[in-house]
Amino acid sequence: MDQTKQEEDYGYDLFPERKPRTKKLTLAQSLFTFNHKCQVMLNFAMETSPYAKLLLSAMKNSGCQAFKDRHFSCEDCDGTVSGGFDAASSQIVLCQNNVHQQAHMNRVVTHELIHAFDHCRAKVDWFNNYRHLACSEIRAANLSGDCSFTNELTRFNFGLKEHHQECVRGRALRSILAVRKISREEAEKIVDEVFDSCFNDHAPFGRIPHSRKEAKFANRDYANRDRYYANL
Amino acid sequence: MEGSKVTTWRTPRMCDDYWSEFKLCKSISNYFHHYYTYGTSPSCQQWKEDYYHCREWEKHGSTEAKEALQKSERKRVAEQRNFTPVWELRREPPRDWHLPLDQEGPQDS
Repeated sequence: MDQTKQEEDYGYDLFPERKPRTKKLTLAQSLFTFNHKCQVMLNFAMETSPYAKLLLSAMKNSGCQAFKDRHFSCEDCDGTVSGGFDAASSQIVLCQNNVHQQAHMNRVVTHELIHAFDHCRAKVDWFNNYRHLACSEIRAANLSGDCSFTNELTRFNFGLKEHHQECVRGRALRSILAVRKISREEAEKIVDEVFDSCFNDHAPFGRIPHSRKEAKFANRDYANRDRYYANL
Repeated sequence: MEGSKVTTWRTPRMCDDYWSEFKLCKSISNYFHHYYTYGTSPSCQQWKEDYYHCREWEKHGSTEAKEALQKSERKRVAEQRNFTPVWELRREPPRDWHLPLDQEGPQDS
């Protein structure tokens, strides 16, 4: 398959630094990009966000321990995209030019870790099966806090009753359309087909964590899982 | 094969965990989040009952309390699994997860 076509088909054109070339940072890149700030925020997220800590723990227990130097990459990205998961290289990409606040970084790291977690525990065919892609996007939008009431307010999406679900559908749709060349109708159909199943898959949280406190409770439950299942 | 140790039953969670889940469930913020997600109000009574069953087991070793607690938790587990997965689960992690970056081969799912 032609390299350029492949890049366009799978959304790689949003991540221009993913092209094969040397990864070593030049002095100019170190000084004039947000790379260092991204690294600092990433570190903080991995160490303090209960969402990220639970996902990292669950992945480690599934045999996919994530190392900062190997599995995370801070890069400049096109457009307004905040991050991505590259299944081909098993890396989480963080868009250093588009993520400037710690809360946003926490959310992006959580979102991409959910994709990595799905990649680790299931046979996800990222490139050819749109249902799998849609499912992971639904889960990521649902469980990462992307669709919290306050986040939706900042996007001027005002809604209350069951709005969370509407948001999850919409964001999953947008994510698919951003990285694959299919029609909106086709994407909507696929999201509809898998929505009920994927919206109710809360692994590894065991709930939809709506707040830091709920995420901490989910962490507690996860740490306690051996005792829990042994005594059911 | 059975080991020589006899494992005695313990409550699936610590009793205080049931109480803290109950308090969280009853909170205004949880009410809001539940309505925002499901359009209904949350039901929290089960957490309170589980707490009392848990205490009952701890104090008196009551079999009814143990069974009620087990039944409640099994129902929770069943609710969490109440969907047909879209994908097949792996038995082992992906082969290329730990490969160094330079050695990443062509796409191989």
